[in-house]
Amino acid sequence: MATTTTTLPPLAYPGLPLGSSTTYTSGPGTYLHVPTSTIHASLAGQPHLHPANASTSKPTLTIPRLLPSPTHAPIPSANISNANTLPRVGAVVLCRVVRVRTRQVDVVVLAVGRGEEEGGGEDVCGDEWQGVVRREDVRATEKEKVLCAEGFRVGDVVRGVVISLGDQSNYYLSTARNELGVIMAKSEAGNTMVPVSWKEFRDPVTGERESRKVAKPF
Amino acid sequence: MTDRRRINGPPSGTSPPVFASSLSSKVFPAKRKRAPDELRKIFLKTGLTPSASGSAYLELEPSTPTAAHKSLATKAPALKLTCTVHGPRPLPRSAPFSPQLSLSTRIKFAPFAARQRKGYVPDAGERDLAAHLETALRGVLIGERWPKSGVDVVVTVLEGGEDALWNRGQSSDGGRTGGWGMMSILSGCITVASAAIIDAGIDCIDVVTGGVAAIVRQPTAPPQVFIDPCPADQEEIYATCVVGYLQTRDEITELWTKGNVTLSIDLGFEHLLDQAVEAAVAARLVLIEAIKESTEIKVQTSRIGHPKNAAS
Repeated sequence: MATTTTTLPPLAYPGLPLGSSTTYTSGPGTYLHVPTSTIHASLAGQPHLHPANASTSKPTLTIPRLLPSPTHAPIPSANISNANTLPRVGAVVLCRVVRVRTRQVDVVVLAVGRGEEEGGGEDVCGDEWQGVVRREDVRATEKEKVLCAEGFRVGDVVRGVVISLGDQSNYYLSTARNELGVIMAKSEAGNTMVPVSWKEFRDPVTGERESRKVAKPF
Repeated sequence: MTDRRRINGPPSGTSPPVFASSLSSKVFPAKRKRAPDELRKIFLKTGLTPSASGSAYLELEPSTPTAAHKSLATKAPALKLTCTVHGPRPLPRSAPFSPQLSLSTRIKFAPFAARQRKGYVPDAGERDLAAHLETALRGVLIGERWPKSGVDVVVTVLEGGEDALWNRGQSSDGGRTGGWGMMSILSGCITVASAAIIDAGIDCIDVVTGGVAAIVRQPTAPPQVFIDPCPADQEEIYATCVVGYLQTRDEITELWTKGNVTLSIDLGFEHLLDQAVEAAVAARLVLIEAIKESTEIKVQTSRIGHPKNAAS
């Protein structure tokens, strides 16, 4: 429900004053200059105004980040570019499992989901960001009985949520929600499997069942 | 430090011989034809390097020589800079946790950038310029928005750094004028790096631009302040000042002065600084036009980015 009013310039560049903080709140792509209580643009792009909702009393000014050369994107629904997207705390991310250990699962973050107010969908990361799902973050109940090897295999595609920026190299992720977990997995025979329960995938060719922390399909 | 890993070209000059007799007219060094407060024409374009997250190219037109256009020897050098920005990307595994964007800058002269051939290993002058550029850029980036990541800003000088004319036979000039050219290169680097960072979509508090001014000796008149001095103009410079300036906030992120400012009382340091800021303000106009141009193209081509873009 973004509206572009006549008071906003059609194109903004960093430093351009967009409005006073008494009428707007500062969103992504803008910043608040405290001494003058003015909201300035911090990115080049089109300013948008999101009307006030339950959590914000004032309309929010945002500038969506423009990614260069989207024409190269092989997947039409995704923005692929060399400009990077960072995992944010609270964002739903898609990642691939690279290593399964007893206490944690090492993953690489491939795409970062946009929030509802940003229109949904995912931004594909230009680089792979290291992440880790610790054993206690795999599921919400019976945490002490979790076995990482029963929840994940190398190569699985996992939907998770970023819970913290983590340590020097890893983001800390969690799959402790029904809709989070493995969304794509291949069987030992190499076939793409289908989820059959909250903890099992089945190979449609061989009929073999394998255990996973399955994400609830939408 | 000598570079022993590569086969380097001869260190001093591979210039073709210049036969003085073949010139019908006498070659004079180029004289400044611009007004004291007039910049060289600037060409700036962003997004030219597809493999980088952001890039820009800047060119300053050379001062036109007064005579003998046919002679290659008198062709004054232009300033050509290209900048690529890589990132924000993950820090190497060995790097400690950083809550902010960590910035690294590199300035490299192409081997053919000046008549004095440059090696592949960055020398002290290039590292010094890179340190100055880093201070200029650090002040504009909003680093808190990009935790745990690093950005590399690489400026390649394709042409520039010529402090003397070819036919003078004094390529390095014994250090007398040596170094003044670095000041205008730094100013260009600040502007071009700013454009590339904005092209990469990294949050900045403002558009930073570089500006140079110099106190120049006049043969008959008292010394005067010229903005954007061209090294090839063969002026005798007393002092030069470079600034990185943010116009919206009226702030300076980088200031570098060299030379003797106190030579003339009425042209003090503050006047020199004000003129350098004037030069930066003028360059800002070009930079903003270049940003707007590339942003418009990006908005038009992003049919698939933000779904709400289509409405406006």
